[in-house]
Amino acid sequence: MSTTTQKHRDFVGEPMGDKRVTALSGIGEILGEKLRQQGFDKAYVVLGQFLLLKKDPEMFTEWLKDASGANSRQAGVCTQCLREWCDAFL
Amino acid sequence: MSLSEKSDEEISKLLAEYGIKHGPIVDSTRKLYERKLEVAMENAPVEPSSDKTYYREEAEEITYITYSPVRQESDVLKRRGNIEPDEDEESDQETEAPVQIANRTANHSAVRSRELDRKSGGSVWKVIRLLLLAVLAAALYYAYCRVLKNEENPFNIQ
Repeated sequence: MSTTTQKHRDFVGEPMGDKRVTALSGIGEILGEKLRQQGFDKAYVVLGQFLLLKKDPEMFTEWLKDASGANSRQAGVCTQCLREWCDAFL
Repeated sequence: MSLSEKSDEEISKLLAEYGIKHGPIVDSTRKLYERKLEVAMENAPVEPSSDKTYYREEAEEITYITYSPVRQESDVLKRRGNIEPDEDEESDQETEAPVQIANRTANHSAVRSRELDRKSGGSVWKVIRLLLLAVLAAALYYAYCRVLKNEENPFNIQ
């Protein structure tokens, strides 16, 4: 996770506002759709879940894999993304 | 009984019991925590092992003290067994047999003392008690010597 994608930098670089769930790095259209079906349509809803789990990366990664079917890499990237966003804006 | 039937508060309490850090138990987090609890419960059951309860029920000085050297000895044997598996069987028989005898004598005298106590007065009981202590000390010393000898011997041979 030393190299970050453009998507990651875009997300972490500014408040998330009303961004869709697919704006999270690691979450593409397919995973985004699965999350949307469960009510996680906006990035801030996923952030809410991250915060409910007390920002515990292990628990959040596990949840994301479970809820969206993400693989370990995708879930890890997304967790990192939210963690850095929290460090910057919370 | 099952986790899914418990209330959010009960789940929260259980999580704390098993030392799992957790946030609020709500619809979106509950399933995750239930699974975490299940894993923790399988790995570390709350019930104490039957070994411990056995000693607690006995709660008798004599049995406790005479058992402990045997335990230590078997530990020593196990440890030594790892290093020298060839000699393990022989030394096992040599050491365990006498200690078991010592054990029996100690237990017998314990029974006898109790019987006498019921029949006669306190003065006799005092003497018996002293004798018992002496037997116990002898048994312990004997076991201790055995352990020492057994620790020395194999190294001397090699």
